[in-house]
Amino acid sequence: MKKKLIAALLVAAMSVSVLAGCGDSKKESTKTGSDNKTSASADAKGDKADDKEDDKSGDDTASGEDVTLKLFSNLPDRKNGQGLVEQMIIDEYMEANPNVKIEVEALDEEAYKTKFKAYAMDGMPDVVSIWGQPSFLDEVLDAGVLAELNEGDYADYKFISGSLEGFKKDGKLYGLPRNTDIMLIYYNQKMFEDNSWEVPSTYEDLMTLCGTIKDAGITPIAMDGGDGWPMACFLTDLLVKVAGTEHSNIISNAISTGDFSAPELKTATQLLVDSAAAGMFQTGYDSQDYGTTQNLFTNGQAAMYCMGSWDSSMALNEDISEEIRTNIRAFTMPVVKDGKGGANDIAAWNGGGYAVSANSAVKDEAIKFLNFMYQPDKLSKYGWENGVGMSAQDQSEYMTGNETELQKQIIEILNKATSVSGTPINDCGPSAFKTAIESEIQGVSNGSTSVDDFLTTIGAACK
Amino acid sequence: MKKLYSNKWVIFTLVLPGVLVFLFAILAPICLSVYYGFTDYSGMGEARFVGLDNYVKLFHDPAFGRSLLNSLLLAIGFICIQHPLAMIVAAVLDKLQGKAEGVFRCIYFIPNVISVAVIAYLWKFIYNPDFGLLNNVLKVFGFEGQVNWLSQENAIWSVLVVLIWHGFGWGMLIYYTGIKNIDPVLYEAASIDGAGWWTTFSRITLPLMKPVIMINVTMAIISALKQMETVYLLTNGGPANSTQFAANYLYQQAFKAFKYGYGNAIGVVFIIICVAVTVLLNTVFRDKQEA
Repeated sequence: MKKKLIAALLVAAMSVSVLAGCGDSKKESTKTGSDNKTSASADAKGDKADDKEDDKSGDDTASGEDVTLKLFSNLPDRKNGQGLVEQMIIDEYMEANPNVKIEVEALDEEAYKTKFKAYAMDGMPDVVSIWGQPSFLDEVLDAGVLAELNEGDYADYKFISGSLEGFKKDGKLYGLPRNTDIMLIYYNQKMFEDNSWEVPSTYEDLMTLCGTIKDAGITPIAMDGGDGWPMACFLTDLLVKVAGTEHSNIISNAISTGDFSAPELKTATQLLVDSAAAGMFQTGYDSQDYGTTQNLFTNGQAAMYCMGSWDSSMALNEDISEEIRTNIRAFTMPVVKDGKGGANDIAAWNGGGYAVSANSAVKDEAIKFLNFMYQPDKLSKYGWENGVGMSAQDQSEYMTGNETELQKQIIEILNKATSVSGTPINDCGPSAFKTAIESEIQGVSNGSTSVDDFLTTIGAACK
Repeated sequence: MKKLYSNKWVIFTLVLPGVLVFLFAILAPICLSVYYGFTDYSGMGEARFVGLDNYVKLFHDPAFGRSLLNSLLLAIGFICIQHPLAMIVAAVLDKLQGKAEGVFRCIYFIPNVISVAVIAYLWKFIYNPDFGLLNNVLKVFGFEGQVNWLSQENAIWSVLVVLIWHGFGWGMLIYYTGIKNIDPVLYEAASIDGAGWWTTFSRITLPLMKPVIMINVTMAIISALKQMETVYLLTNGGPANSTQFAANYLYQQAFKAFKYGYGNAIGVVFIIICVAVTVLLNTVFRDKQEA
């Protein structure tokens, strides 16, 4: 009898432990949601609370009941740059709407894109960061996970003309752009003046200048080659200078046919290869990441740094020594010999932005928050005041006259632009193409793959 | 107690959790992988059946070939460099006795305790051509110029050094435990008979360590095949796939390139290779044991 009892107890204990493993976290998260109803601070944490729990709160939005909005962001640094701007707006929204709690989950770009896909399979957060580029958006829109937005609502939001195009499919709008990104070559003005170096006006001058800088024992251009995409942006910039306004047709033809043998593509790639071979970039550029590369420039070990305008917040970053941050200036890719692109044909695009999940239980509140973010005096204004580069909306009325020299230079570059490139080459095709070009460009730039092989391989990834 | 274990319900409940874990966490995902391997699923939306397309592509994919070659190199590195060293160190530790034995055992095991992320970043800094430790040490010895340790030609060797160094502690600890289990009477008898250290090592230590060596070698080969996290954090397979490993390539294809179907095909081939290697090793070792 005693043994039977022990046996029965063992069976029961085992069953409980097995069933406990199959437990649901819904109850717990419901509790958490209601406990935090007065909280006014958004936590950047990986909250996996179930969507369904929000169903109720979403339905009750109108009556001022508690709503929890989940924002999934690609800006993990909440104290600087764009992450700070995003957080400022979130805090402001929660203050204005005490019944709304916004939970932020922020990851680095690569981790973000991976988790975005996992979310796409099983319940997206309510508001998400997206990229208005085919390499990211095509598959996402095909899967139907983003909510359609009413374009008419944004007539007064002062979006720069054409900036919404990348976020549309079949004429329907699915997201809003956050930035206007310009590809720049930042330089250390003081270092240039001390050494009597001039800002180059042609690519040949740039090559000569890099030779001089290298001879002086300094890295000419800090390049984040470990990630692949900055070099692809550099290649886009070169292609703009080689092919002029024709470049976008060349890229779209190449991607649709998988044939990258156009002479302009070859010339631009060859220029990149020759530049790397001549020592334009730091030793080991093809394996170094974003942070390491930026540090080379901000520590004064590199004279120039090739990156987008989003990094112009370096001029306001107090972690960078004053001597360097106040002397950061920028120029765009100089013209190439016999190239069709002029000095004012620039590589620029509207990349990152936000969208609302199609299956969000609190879709109305999410769209309300999205619209709040894009009120011209929010993302645009705060972004400008915090020096995070150009927004996708007209910022002219927020000029204070106290802009950094770098900001003024960037406005001038944009104002003078005769044409902008649109999406950089790596983001023009499907994501398989993006992965291929960002990996293969390392091999071609360091000379281990020939230009022809490179163009053939990336072509194959389009098919 | 004996009667308790003959109760079918007790047996059932004790076995059930393991069976459930195997069914839902191992078998079901493998079956799903096999299914998705025959589709062009992007991870979102609809999956279309494409037959053997993914597998045909895979066998012509130079990056996958490279990743298998790198796994092979790593396995050779483990067996020919890491394990002989680990065994010698274990034998020396055993002879040290006293406090020194514990101290050195700890020191050699430290790399295993540190998180992989920290290890990867630590070595990233050590290898940095501009401010890295290695190049600065070389400078002290009068070497001019910068060595690019993570260049396309050097990267795989640099990565192998990190992996071999990182896994050394485990190998050493297992050998050390094996050596400790050898009856000291045998050594005493050998020393009475006038056997030197080499004779003792080759005639007593080595033969009695055979089962431990077999386990260690099998584990080393499987861990070489499964290598992912250190490589992902250190080079992410670059430059240009030169340090690519199968698991990392699978991840890139499935989650970065949105080729979920292709990623699953890689997974299936990967499982087949792992199972084949394990069976092969077991057969080889069984034959030896019987011999």
